[in-house]
Amino acid sequence: MNPRTRQALEFVLDNLVWFMLVFVLVVFSIFIPNYFQLGIFANIIEASSVLGVMSIGLALVIIAGHMDLSVESVAALSAMAVGILFCSSGIGLGIQLHPEWLMVPVSLLLALAVGGLIGAFNGFLVVKVKMSAFIITLASYIWVRGLVLVISGGRSAQDLAPAIRWFGIQRLIGLPLTAWIAIACFVVFSLIMAKTPFGRHLVMIGGNETATFRAGIRVNRNLIIAFVLAGAIAGLAGWLLAIRTSGATANLGVGLLFNAFAAVVIGGVSLKGGVGTLPGVYAGVLLLSAINTAINLMGLPANFTQVIHGLLVLAAVLLDAFKQTIRQRLA
Amino acid sequence: MKRILLAVFGILALAFATLTPAFAQSKGTVYYMVPTLLDEFQTGSVTALELFLKQVGYEIKTLNADNKTDAQQSQMNDVIALKPKAIILAAVDFNALKPSIEAARAAGIPVVEFDRQITSTPSDFTSVAGTVEIGHIAADQAEKLLKAKNGSVKGKVLQVLGDPGDPYTLDIQKGFEEKMKAFPDVKIISLPAMQWEASNAGTIVADQMLANPDIDLIFSHAAHLSVAAVASLEAAGKKPGDVMLMSSNGAPVGLDLIRKGWLNVEVEQPLYAQAAAVAMFMDKVANKQEIKPGDYDVLGLKSTVTKEAWGPNIKIPGAAITKENVDNPAFWGNQKAPTDTVKPVE
Repeated sequence: MNPRTRQALEFVLDNLVWFMLVFVLVVFSIFIPNYFQLGIFANIIEASSVLGVMSIGLALVIIAGHMDLSVESVAALSAMAVGILFCSSGIGLGIQLHPEWLMVPVSLLLALAVGGLIGAFNGFLVVKVKMSAFIITLASYIWVRGLVLVISGGRSAQDLAPAIRWFGIQRLIGLPLTAWIAIACFVVFSLIMAKTPFGRHLVMIGGNETATFRAGIRVNRNLIIAFVLAGAIAGLAGWLLAIRTSGATANLGVGLLFNAFAAVVIGGVSLKGGVGTLPGVYAGVLLLSAINTAINLMGLPANFTQVIHGLLVLAAVLLDAFKQTIRQRLA
Repeated sequence: MKRILLAVFGILALAFATLTPAFAQSKGTVYYMVPTLLDEFQTGSVTALELFLKQVGYEIKTLNADNKTDAQQSQMNDVIALKPKAIILAAVDFNALKPSIEAARAAGIPVVEFDRQITSTPSDFTSVAGTVEIGHIAADQAEKLLKAKNGSVKGKVLQVLGDPGDPYTLDIQKGFEEKMKAFPDVKIISLPAMQWEASNAGTIVADQMLANPDIDLIFSHAAHLSVAAVASLEAAGKKPGDVMLMSSNGAPVGLDLIRKGWLNVEVEQPLYAQAAAVAMFMDKVANKQEIKPGDYDVLGLKSTVTKEAWGPNIKIPGAAITKENVDNPAFWGNQKAPTDTVKPVE
């Protein structure tokens, strides 16, 4: 194989998920009526904003060689906290701040703080007490959802303050601001992962924690920061979720965790740690959202949608595995 | 260490004693197996059953199955071992719970079906609004709305189901679609909001409004799904009244949407009456006395007890809530618990 062909093949393999996304969009556009329109593409990006943001935090922890199963429940708790304080119907207290725009930073800080606190709790137990991240965050996944139920009493908060809801309604170049927030998060965290020592250290820790420690890098500190970030980002996802649905229900975000895992894996992040980039994760998120939209537009019988969704995700993951095989042959 | 252990046991014993003081005075304990607490109707059903069963002298304990069939089966097994006066079951899955019902009745524990009717095996009493009937009422309302808008019953309806694994939503769909078959000019697009999750409903509405901008009416199977639907419509620049909306279950958020002009109709499940009916007949159920068929007044609603193959069954009519009657305190969504005290049926 000549070097140019090899280089081209390497490029395709590195960005396979993006090619898959384009392929899927083309196929859906040809075969599904009404799929090919700007509004639908905007919907795909908009619908992926919550999952996308949540996947960033999850990817950070997985790249660092650990796991955070609590992100879905953390997002729900943050959404409920924002909902209870700033919604005016249901269980919402309808708190008003003056000037009104103050509600935006205050609600955002609240969501980030709720997420960050739970992330810090997870990180402390995993890093300092040396407990399994899987078990600790699984426990958090359960108790945090339980806390949502406790504070809401199973009821919902609706009618989010217009100043906050504004982000879900206003559009910039055809996309709601919530989608732009998700895109900005991907850009910022991609840069952090690629260009800062913290990002590079996380990849190193995920690759080989002991070697990284012996190289003089503060492994524990970086890991705790990763957990806090995952929690805070999940809190941000919850804030976006509350905006998107104009409130919060006790089952808000149920099932997002599995989609986030799927997106992260499809996006090329290794569950063993040390491998993966955030742009790839974003492509994975968009791919899932494109599939969901296709299912919505196909009008299939309700019983089949989950099967089809699962099979399409499986196909994407198998293609990713195929990529690894080709890469090994190239090496 | 010994002292600490003793102190811990002491506190636990004290807590246990204070939590269970009233058993001796009550007619006995009844267990309510609620399918989930992540839904306002179910949460409301706990409160309503507690209120009414207390009025007729029973203690009530609730176990939440978190929408998991296996969890509910295990709970049933555990409760059977506790020998309560009766079990009130709102089944996660109609068929899967059949053996558990049979096991409870074989152990001499009466089983009351609440809200979710199981017809494949006998039970001691069933109190339902009738999910298929809710679908029928919704179809009647859709007929009216479409006729008012288009001059005749024609147009496009987006039906946002709940989770396709939940028989509750499948029954509503069945009732709705079987009645809408009479109108061939109505096209129904049905899509599920997986796990009854609101943002899934929002995505469906956002996508469908682009693919089928001529949708006349959106029918969601729960009020909280309508909230997300409204959020998507709002984000798409729609105003109240641009697209007609209906939902079922009568939750508070649905009533709020009616007041704001977004929702045209909410088909109520008569939660209070369903719970009151259970309390009215609990003595007869617990003492294994005959429940006579006929008409009964349940919190002012005319309800009918029939003798079915699966046992006595009370069906309480659901109601259509519109702007005209939305403030009626009888609707559970207004969250004004009935002041009338329930009395056991003689």
